[in-house]
Amino acid sequence: MDHGVVDLSRLQFALTALYHFQFVPLTLGMTFLLAAMETVYVITGKQIYKDMTQFWGKLFGINFAIGVATGLTMEFEFGTNWSMYSHFMGDVFGAPLAIEGMMAFFLESTFVGLMFFGWNRLSRGGHLAVTYLVALGSNLSALWILVANGFMQDPVGATFNPDTMRMEFTNFAALVFSEDAQAKFVHTSIAGFVTGAMFVMGISAYYMLRKQHREFAARSFRMAALFGVISSLAVVTLGDALGRLDYLVQPTKLAAMEGIWHTTTPPSAPWTAFAIPDDVAQKNYAEINIPYVLGPLVAHSFTTAVPGIIDLEQKAKVDTVNGIKAVMALHQYSEDKDPAALATFRQYEQTMGYGFLAQRYAPDQDLSKLTADNLPAVLDRTARETIPNVFVEFWGFRLMVACGFAFVVVFALGAYYSLRNKLETQRWLLRASMWAIPLPIIACEYGWIVAENGRQPWTVYGWLPTYMSASSHTVGYMIFSLIGFVLLYSAFIAAELYLMFKFARLGPTEHAAPKPVEGAGPATFSRPGYAEKSWQ
Amino acid sequence: MTRLLQLIGLAAVLALSLLFAVVAGDYAPWYFAWIVGTVMIVLIATCGAVLFETQETSRADGRDAGF
Ligand code: HEM
Repeated sequence: MDHGVVDLSRLQFALTALYHFQFVPLTLGMTFLLAAMETVYVITGKQIYKDMTQFWGKLFGINFAIGVATGLTMEFEFGTNWSMYSHFMGDVFGAPLAIEGMMAFFLESTFVGLMFFGWNRLSRGGHLAVTYLVALGSNLSALWILVANGFMQDPVGATFNPDTMRMEFTNFAALVFSEDAQAKFVHTSIAGFVTGAMFVMGISAYYMLRKQHREFAARSFRMAALFGVISSLAVVTLGDALGRLDYLVQPTKLAAMEGIWHTTTPPSAPWTAFAIPDDVAQKNYAEINIPYVLGPLVAHSFTTAVPGIIDLEQKAKVDTVNGIKAVMALHQYSEDKDPAALATFRQYEQTMGYGFLAQRYAPDQDLSKLTADNLPAVLDRTARETIPNVFVEFWGFRLMVACGFAFVVVFALGAYYSLRNKLETQRWLLRASMWAIPLPIIACEYGWIVAENGRQPWTVYGWLPTYMSASSHTVGYMIFSLIGFVLLYSAFIAAELYLMFKFARLGPTEHAAPKPVEGAGPATFSRPGYAEKSWQ
Repeated sequence: MTRLLQLIGLAAVLALSLLFAVVAGDYAPWYFAWIVGTVMIVLIATCGAVLFETQETSRADGRDAGF
């Protein structure tokens, strides 16, 4: 396998995924916020809430239309650039991916059409139901892709079949209900809620700063701030759950995330708030440590040690020795179906991935050429390879977490001043809300970097190394398609930004006075002349 | 009689919800948390808007509209 091709395939997938995920969170979050706005419209009958649903729905629509196309290419990339991975994982990956496609195209897209074009064709209740179905559909389609990703982080519910050379399902429920899949789904979905809330709050703040659309902006701000304050608390909670899961099932990722080189000594083990990790020297520079925090934070315990990278490398060497036996037995079994070889394979099966990893450094990538002389060097290189890039992991994680806590503060202050009707006096908060619009998207990108960089060197943690997963393209082909994607996706982003700025600046259509809709909600909420009263 | 049937119906919904919560709590705690949490987030945002209208009504009536 040409390593240039592997690296280019990784770069291409990382770029397309990061581009795609600039659109996804807004879709996940805006839909439920739209549903909440429409619910108020149905309850109170006030026109302004219908205007809110339609205006924010228009911005959501721009994002949805452009964003949906960016996801499609990734589904094809599995087949074109990651054919070995697709063969190895197809049995497991195929089902969730197919369900995701069905959810996205049938449920989500059908109801999105009804949501936009059904205002005059459906009853109020019917339209509200459609909006909720769009929200549910978009989040459920995310669920399935995260179930598949959960398997790559923590492979449960499947086993390796040495006759077909692929992972095969043993338990679909174990896959869907794996704790990793669950926590991933909730963290990602709620991260979308945070993104949607910040988007609405930030643009509303912009109107307030310019004293435009004040009735509209004040209500939108109030709803988004309350929506966001609970969502941001939930995203932090789920982040903690994911961190603990990484400690349990992906110790190398966790150690890199926290910059832990040496196994810690409880209970005083410090949490490193700041450091400059050096992957080559395997140490941190300029550390700022807070003692007694790491154990409870990561393992939820004062008495448990957290394994460090140096010790994890030693353990990887033992796994590699066993993995080499597993892979050699597998080769022999695939040639002559020898039951003794199968028995040996079964004995060391759990470490098979480490054998594949060692193959990369064996002479001519042939494990049978390993000798007592060259084995130690191969073990050293393989063990080093099992650790992800610590600098990227450490800082990716910290930037995401810092954003998370900043969101809690901004939403809480926004909710507080909105509830006290004192928002317009807090111009600094309005400005902060406006400038914070892109931050949740950036936090999501850091989140994916943490999740996927931290999983390296595996595509399926502990089972299939990344370098073995790619297709055998040429470097030229990969560079050509990479440039094509970058140009195309950059054009999508430019179009999105242009349209978003254009329509956000234009603002909502003003209605003279909110009229109660026939048969809707209690009349107490509809006061004639209400819209003219300036909100303050 | 209708009241009684309504009551029985609601009691059945309650019992089913509890059963669902117990099963989901065992097998899918985070999925369950997402369902409950999302409903709560939407409801709180909705209540915030309804409260906004009440505050506006109070203000229009000359009463203190602060929270
Ligand atoms: C205290 C705050 C947070 C903590 C402790 C936290 C923790 C984590 C962890 C440990 C992962 C890696 C999961 C894995 O191993 O696969 C992750 C991923 C991710 N995070 Fe966060 N996070 C926090 C805040 C945020 C915020 C504010 C956002 C965005 C608004 C966000 C979005 C994401 C996304 C999109 C992913 C990738 C998908 C996934 O693995 O769930 N996170 N987070």
